[in-house]
Amino acid sequence: MIQASHWYGLNMPQRLLLLLCMLFAWSEGMAQSVDAASGTVKIAIAQEPPQLNSMKATDQVSIFVLGHVMEGLTRYDRRGNLAPGVAERWELGDTTAKFWLRKDAKWSNGDPVTAHDFVFAWRSVVDPNTASEYAFILYPVKNAEAINQGNMPVTALGIEAIDDHTLTVTLERPTGYFIKLTAFVTTFPVQEKFYQARTEQYAADAKDMLYNGAFTLDSWVHSASMEMRKNPLYWDAEAIKLNAIDADYITADTRARLNLFIDDKIAYTQLDGETYKDALNNQFRIKKFVTGSVYFLEYNYRDNRITRNKNLRAAIQAAFDPEEFVNKVLQTPGNLPGRSLFPTWIQGVEKTFREEYPPPEVKPDLTRARALLTSAKQELGLEEIPPLILLVSDSPTATKQAEYMQGMLKTRLGLDLKIDVQTFKQRLAKMTSGEFDIVGAGWGPDFDDIMTFGDLFASWNLNNRGRYVNPEYDRLVRVAMNSSDPKTRMDAMSGLQSILIEDAVMLPMYEQGVIYLQHPKLKGMRRTVIGSDPDFTYARIAP
Amino acid sequence: MNAPTALTEADFEPSPSTHRAEQLSRPSLSYWQDAWRRLKNNTRAIISLYLIMALAFFTIIGPLLWTQDPAAQDLDQISQAPALPKTARLVADYVPWQVPISAEHPAEPDDYPDRLDPVTDFRTSGIATTQSVRLTWSPVNEAGGYSIYRSETRPDGLMGLGLPLETVSGGNILGFEDRLNLKSQSYFYSIVPTDGFDEFDVVTTIQVNPEQSITQSQAILQGLATPEDLPGQAITLAFHPFGTDYLGRDILARLMQGAQVSLFIGVVAPLIYVLFGVFYGGFAGYLGGKVDQLMMRFADFVVALPFLLFMILFKIAFGIGPGESGVMPMLVALILLLWPGTARLVRGQVLKIREQGYIEAARLLGGNSSYLILRHIIPNTMGVILVTLTFAVPSAIFTEAFLSFIGMGVAPPTPSWGSMCNEGVKTMLSHPHELFFPALFISITVLAFNLLGDGLTEALDSKMRSRDL
Repeated sequence: MIQASHWYGLNMPQRLLLLLCMLFAWSEGMAQSVDAASGTVKIAIAQEPPQLNSMKATDQVSIFVLGHVMEGLTRYDRRGNLAPGVAERWELGDTTAKFWLRKDAKWSNGDPVTAHDFVFAWRSVVDPNTASEYAFILYPVKNAEAINQGNMPVTALGIEAIDDHTLTVTLERPTGYFIKLTAFVTTFPVQEKFYQARTEQYAADAKDMLYNGAFTLDSWVHSASMEMRKNPLYWDAEAIKLNAIDADYITADTRARLNLFIDDKIAYTQLDGETYKDALNNQFRIKKFVTGSVYFLEYNYRDNRITRNKNLRAAIQAAFDPEEFVNKVLQTPGNLPGRSLFPTWIQGVEKTFREEYPPPEVKPDLTRARALLTSAKQELGLEEIPPLILLVSDSPTATKQAEYMQGMLKTRLGLDLKIDVQTFKQRLAKMTSGEFDIVGAGWGPDFDDIMTFGDLFASWNLNNRGRYVNPEYDRLVRVAMNSSDPKTRMDAMSGLQSILIEDAVMLPMYEQGVIYLQHPKLKGMRRTVIGSDPDFTYARIAP
Repeated sequence: MNAPTALTEADFEPSPSTHRAEQLSRPSLSYWQDAWRRLKNNTRAIISLYLIMALAFFTIIGPLLWTQDPAAQDLDQISQAPALPKTARLVADYVPWQVPISAEHPAEPDDYPDRLDPVTDFRTSGIATTQSVRLTWSPVNEAGGYSIYRSETRPDGLMGLGLPLETVSGGNILGFEDRLNLKSQSYFYSIVPTDGFDEFDVVTTIQVNPEQSITQSQAILQGLATPEDLPGQAITLAFHPFGTDYLGRDILARLMQGAQVSLFIGVVAPLIYVLFGVFYGGFAGYLGGKVDQLMMRFADFVVALPFLLFMILFKIAFGIGPGESGVMPMLVALILLLWPGTARLVRGQVLKIREQGYIEAARLLGGNSSYLILRHIIPNTMGVILVTLTFAVPSAIFTEAFLSFIGMGVAPPTPSWGSMCNEGVKTMLSHPHELFFPALFISITVLAFNLLGDGLTEALDSKMRSRDL
């Protein structure tokens, strides 16, 4: 009754206003993050993509969007296995690869996706004028490196369209993982006709690009929203259950994103150390995901560094307990104890590499560690090991880990460690110039092959900051590089894994895990270590 | 004119004194006795004085009585709140557990099931200890895996399952071992079956109370057990009256070691720079004129120098390498940059006293400069000097705390109160004691020195003498 009297007490415009307000409130209430009826999922993206040119994209968000709206020769299926994309089937020889393209793959303007589109895109990527940062992804292709350095014309690239639907690629050397590279954004096709009509404007806006993926970019309101719709022309449209992916919010602030999640405005958000307690208090189901990055300690092998001594490194290895480190020091779930340079998700011949080739087991053994240290002292002719400098970046977790190592080595081995805390950039500079004994490092994968980790300690790799040189290691890397037989490659990598552990070349600490929130009705969202993460392509919404 | 009478010796005797004005009815009080008497009447100041003495005892004698190594990491008692000593069961060293795998159950379902049954027979295997909690269950038809959650409060249905510990991929894997930072408290483990990809909305929860335990090798390493002690025996764990920090280090021992750094900076730096300031200001004030002008303009110049910048410069100039303590450059920076305050104060005081009547009188009576300075000027500025000193101590402690807080002070593992606060603030919500104790010690020390300073001002300042008694 009281409400009614208020209502009658208003004049006409006020009544209208109130009605409008109520309507708005109602429609606001309806805007849920997932909607089963319309197959819509709402998300937030961290920032706006600088541009969506697949040939130049390097950042996470661009790769995320492109992975949904475009497709390469191959793609990843709902289980994360390599599956046919534009290419129906393929053949990989020693130095050649042949792809048969499906006839029903279409661009969003109705044109078929042809082999020429790939030839144009790949030539553009390696063209030094394009200045693509990911051009090195195509270096396994014949002459790619020379072209990219400006020593050869782009037409010399080892890619040829036999006809509209057959593509042959000549490789520089046998590259076993070459097929996996064709799922990466940089190798996606681009229609030359369309690109030439747009040139500089290409992929700067939703209407300025062509799509051949499961979704199309329907609207792109700059610095406000991006909306993707199901692509009816997609060759596998039947398998796609979602109708729309709306990125209505652009923010990288995890706290803001958590609040959006709480208000049911977005269906997915990542958590960090600060926000996960709030998520727990809000009674959310937290999920976890292994990011694919590996964290480890690297030693300095430059002249006069005592970390060159193998027994000293082995003593540290034997004193360190990765299980204890993950459980007691890191304390957040999802991290795995470090056992090898190769993370657990890396594929081997048939199963994962780590299942097929378990790394040599290192049991934390204090007696052995002390014996090793004694022999290290004898070999070095030192009464006492001088303090070692441990270089770490200035994040709170990194300094905490460094303090743990310091205390652990002091109580268990009597080794003194000095912690050198530096900013990320300064740490990289010091790593490059070699001003450290031990450095805390991490490595994330660039492509889905063991080689993205395997060549890390090769003598020619610039990321080998400790200047570790071992001809046997280099030989094994070359064996794996120059072979396309998975067994030969994995055998070589296994040999290399044994060298790393047995010679205590580096000290694996942990495989990184993260925790995130996902709407309980959103199913089939795939987290992935490489490429478009998270992948909504095969997601569905439970009724 | 009368004939002169003869004067005798007696006529020249002084007349007998009838009153004795100068007799002191009470024993005389020196300046210091008087000040001390007044200070004693000031309860706050006396409490502060006792607190400062207790702090000195804590810093100097404390480490001799409480002999725990401040850098030792007790990983069985990480982030432990203050508590009485705990007993723990001695367990054999950890051996990895062979997770049970069902031979008949398939690892992956043939198809994507629409619904899954909840997990049954979800229980612990063996004794749940803080070393490990081993969970097993019976397989669920068509399940492609299981997710295990852990919560510290009882979950309310599907919500609030807590931390996702593990997603077991394979419907035939029937066990999981939790070793993630276990404490002896109640945990609620929940298990949710998946189709190898998505979780289903059925959950089974059990409550587990892991028993506090310590492995044999750890116990021997910490000197809590001998190799003859057998697993199963009860052992008293290391006692941490103030709790432990995020790496299991004893907070009481760290506070004592931290006090040495904090109070060293807090007492030595002010002592030196106040002394220097007194001489500098005293000279300028006493000499006056051009010399005074010159000296005070130099003091102004020093005041204008930025402290933090000089702190960094000194750190570099001292060749303090990475991971080495920055306490010495901090001390030098404090001494070199903070004296002008005292110098100005003392100079002003000396200028004022120099013109006083009693100084003139003393000079007329033949007192030389050193007599004037020692007898009159310094005692009269002593009040100001002591008060400056007591106020300089807390500000130096604060500066040390601040510099250690931003990482410019002590190098780990050496703690100082400031660096302990810096570490404690990160876990303020979950483990407040890690911040509370160092913050409390900084607060108490600063407050005690401030209140003592207040009391001294009142006791020593001659202007205030007339106010009481």
